Amino acid sequence: MNISYNLLKDLIDFDLSPDETAKALTRVGLAVEGVHTVGGDFVLDIDLTSNRPDCLSHLGVARELSISLDRELKLRPVEAEMPMPPVLAGDVVRVDASDLCHRFTARIIRGVKVGPSPQWLVERLESIGERSINNVADITNYVMHELGQPMHSFDLDKLSGNRIVVRRAADGEKITTLDEVERELDSSMLMICDAEKPVAVAGVMGGIESGISDETTNVLLEVAYFDRASIRATSRNLGLATEASYRFERGVDIDNLKRASDRAVELICELAGGEKGEFIDIYPTHQTATIVVSNDISASVKRLTGLNVDEVECDRILTRLGIARQPDSNEYKSPSWRHDIAIEEDLVEEVARHFGYENIESELPPAYGAGEYLPSEDRIRSVRSALSALGFSEAMTYSFIDVEHDDKFDLVTVQDSNSGFVTLKDAVIEGAVRMRPTMLPGLLDAVRLNLNYQRRNLKLFEIGKAFIGGGNGQLPSEPRLLTIALTGSEVFASTVADGRGQDLFDAKAAFETVASTLGISMPEFRSSAAKHLTAGRAADVYVDGVLAGSVGRLHDSIASNYKLKRDVFVGELLLDVLLSASPESVVYKPLPRFPGVSRDVTFAVDRNFQYSSLAAAATTDDTLFDGSKLVGTFERDGERTITIRLNYRSDDRTLTDNEVEAVHNTVLANIQHSLGLSPKA
Amino acid sequence: MDTNTEQLKPLIADEIAALSSINVDGLSLDECEAKRREVADTRIRLLGKKSELANLKKSIGAITAEDRAAFAQNVQSLEREITEAIESAESSLDRKLADLKNEAERVDVTLPGRRIAPGSHHPITVLRQRIEDIFVSMGYTIEDDREIETDYYNFDALNIPENHPARESQDTFYTTDGFALRSQTSTVQIRAMERRGVPIRILAPGKVFRRDTPDMTHTPMFHQLEGLCVDKGITMAHLKGTVTEWLKRLFGPDTVTRFRPSYFPFTEPSAEFDFSCFKCNGTGEFEGDRCRPCKGSGWIELGGSGMVHPNVLRACGVDPTVYSGFAFGFGLERMTAMMYNIDDIRHMFENDVRFLEQFR
Repeated sequence: MNISYNLLKDLIDFDLSPDETAKALTRVGLAVEGVHTVGGDFVLDIDLTSNRPDCLSHLGVARELSISLDRELKLRPVEAEMPMPPVLAGDVVRVDASDLCHRFTARIIRGVKVGPSPQWLVERLESIGERSINNVADITNYVMHELGQPMHSFDLDKLSGNRIVVRRAADGEKITTLDEVERELDSSMLMICDAEKPVAVAGVMGGIESGISDETTNVLLEVAYFDRASIRATSRNLGLATEASYRFERGVDIDNLKRASDRAVELICELAGGEKGEFIDIYPTHQTATIVVSNDISASVKRLTGLNVDEVECDRILTRLGIARQPDSNEYKSPSWRHDIAIEEDLVEEVARHFGYENIESELPPAYGAGEYLPSEDRIRSVRSALSALGFSEAMTYSFIDVEHDDKFDLVTVQDSNSGFVTLKDAVIEGAVRMRPTMLPGLLDAVRLNLNYQRRNLKLFEIGKAFIGGGNGQLPSEPRLLTIALTGSEVFASTVADGRGQDLFDAKAAFETVASTLGISMPEFRSSAAKHLTAGRAADVYVDGVLAGSVGRLHDSIASNYKLKRDVFVGELLLDVLLSASPESVVYKPLPRFPGVSRDVTFAVDRNFQYSSLAAAATTDDTLFDGSKLVGTFERDGERTITIRLNYRSDDRTLTDNEVEAVHNTVLANIQHSLGLSPKA
Repeated sequence: MDTNTEQLKPLIADEIAALSSINVDGLSLDECEAKRREVADTRIRLLGKKSELANLKKSIGAITAEDRAAFAQNVQSLEREITEAIESAESSLDRKLADLKNEAERVDVTLPGRRIAPGSHHPITVLRQRIEDIFVSMGYTIEDDREIETDYYNFDALNIPENHPARESQDTFYTTDGFALRSQTSTVQIRAMERRGVPIRILAPGKVFRRDTPDMTHTPMFHQLEGLCVDKGITMAHLKGTVTEWLKRLFGPDTVTRFRPSYFPFTEPSAEFDFSCFKCNGTGEFEGDRCRPCKGSGWIELGGSGMVHPNVLRACGVDPTVYSGFAFGFGLERMTAMMYNIDDIRHMFENDVRFLEQFR
């Protein structure tokens, strides 16, 4: 909001420079964003908080200055005047909707000459960013900025029946507002009407027909107070927000109407001629002042802010703000212009901000217990570090994705029947109304973006929440996921030489590294039919027998949607399954004292043979058997072989060839028995 | 001196002279290896089983008893002389050989190490972890909770009235089931107080959502960090002290803070807080130019804070006449952008590796 330094001086005497004024206002919570020179004036741009509509005027701002200046505002007392008696007034103004119009005043001014405003008024309006229209319109605008009360002037002669009826619109009634837009009304909207039709949208904008024109000679000046919620609803429903509606919906000062009206009338008579006529004041709904009880305001200020402000100073600040302490009581009466004073803490804030936040001490609270991280934070941090050491960069993608990804991915997050998607009512990024049930689409977007920038070798991971289920009044579940995507070759830090091309086993290695970092058992990988993965290069991932996710080569149909021409490997795990798996405890085994013996054995297998079955079959109860490990696989011309190493060892002697041979034959017999495989000659 | 040893001596003198005349300087690897083989041959010839010396030793039985001691001494001394000469030649050749072999393996030590390119932590993660570490050391417990919330937790319990602009759907995302994507991490305050009761000291970092179209300074999803401390006797002085302390730990001991009155529905009194610019130390000028992070003001506006509103305490079953507390919150993206001079916060969610890999 723009505040004119010169206009402020009309309302209070002070000798602060514009910059000092800005500082003084910022200090009490009226944040001045900038001070600009406009003509011979300075304009203070104030970023006002939404609780202070009373400061949407120079009067309100001057009042805030009056505390530190300890000086009265330059306001003349409002002239006492008997309004037109109700029996007569009813012929001019009738309020049918007193629930929405709490007070309505009208002043008749006759013999007005509409014309351009004098230079000083044009300049004042310019400095606060308003354009001059004509003297009458300018005056109502000016007084709104000065005193905070929006008002509207009608051409009395254009009002049918020369009268005003304040009522709700009839459904389907229409009005063309001053901005030359015809608007259709409904019965929730409060209208200022003449004998026949709406002539203004109450508190929002006047109608074009009844407005002031160059021909106007008789004016009806409306200064009223409308229900805040009603104005807000009307303004929103019509899509019409104005300076007036902005103030009305936040709340103006119902006891300030006569002052504002008198001020405008005075200026109209002075600048546009005319003769002040009848005054009508219909005040059906009196506002009861809020009473706030504070038994010891000084103690309360101390309790919440630590500030030592004695009672005299508290009362001085509050009194200047219009928050009057009732004589000999602990009750404070909120002024008619403040809609935000309701409890003692509000009084404390008023005192504290004027006494000065800068005077609040800075001290740490007394010592307390030990701090704690989130239960699995240390483990998630180690997962991040491990993946980062493997060359994965941590990505963060939006939690909302396009609905086009629906049904393209097998969702690890869908674990039971409660599996509906979570959908937003609308999006700010086109199409992105689906709360992600998987993080793969987001990560694939990132892959696509990087490929566009010629980064062909990529490793990305993300840790975050997915959203699934809910409905029927239930909140959705928010499982945490760990998702990876990789493509291209291994990359070296300081050379451009491409390393080995990455494949499924690099993706698996990432998940194995995560398991190893967490100290849990190695995940088990079983062939997967996940629809977003390529058959034969896809695995479901199990942790301690629990399905945790999948990993594999991205399916060609999805890859082509993303215009990915290279192999992309992706994996997604339920982080919570990983974190809930118990870490394997460390059991020390004494170091072997005798050398072991190993035998490498090669089997000819077909292409669909799974190593995991060989690893499982290669065993015996004999304690001399010391496990097996893969040596390698070899494939050519459709022939495939797997070589494994079988280890034998005793804790108390060096094994003889015969002993080894005996156990080895048992293991081979077991393999033969389970799989029908014999070692290749 | 017996005749046999006397006869041997001149023969050997030549061999010893030859051994000690070996000069390794300037030898190539091949020459050096040839020389080394020669010395090995010499050792066999002079000290081997068939050497003259060996024969001499065998002849000791033929020496008379009175001459035997002198004979043995002579043979020994001769053997020592030969051995020393051979070993000296061997070791100088071996040293030279090792040098030459190592020289052949010489590499350019300035070539880069064979290091797999490391990945990176997201800048938001980096900053979040640093701030979490500071608060844990100050006795705070880290908390997080749901990202999709009911209106009760997102608004009502936070004393955000029905008609508050924040509640309108132009600011808040709603699901078709009528739930809100949390628009501030303050929701965690409520859930944590309900769960843990008071006294409480928590720090809640997390994702929040607002209906902003992405631009250089806005994204519809971002991260907030929210602190809450409720106990008997907590005042705004403790708020000031706490915020100042962690900013000092993050930006250095000279950091100062500034609190300005403001308005938030969930605090009363409320304050916005600024801190002296970490780049220009509050001068507004850096290396003669207008300082960028603080736009020349010397201050960086960071977040909102205040004393927890009594309605919020009551909503969590806490008696505001017995307990008081402070809360503060701020956005991580804005702070990260400031610290690293990132001109467009949309980068944070685009995941361009050229951006990501700059952070560790």
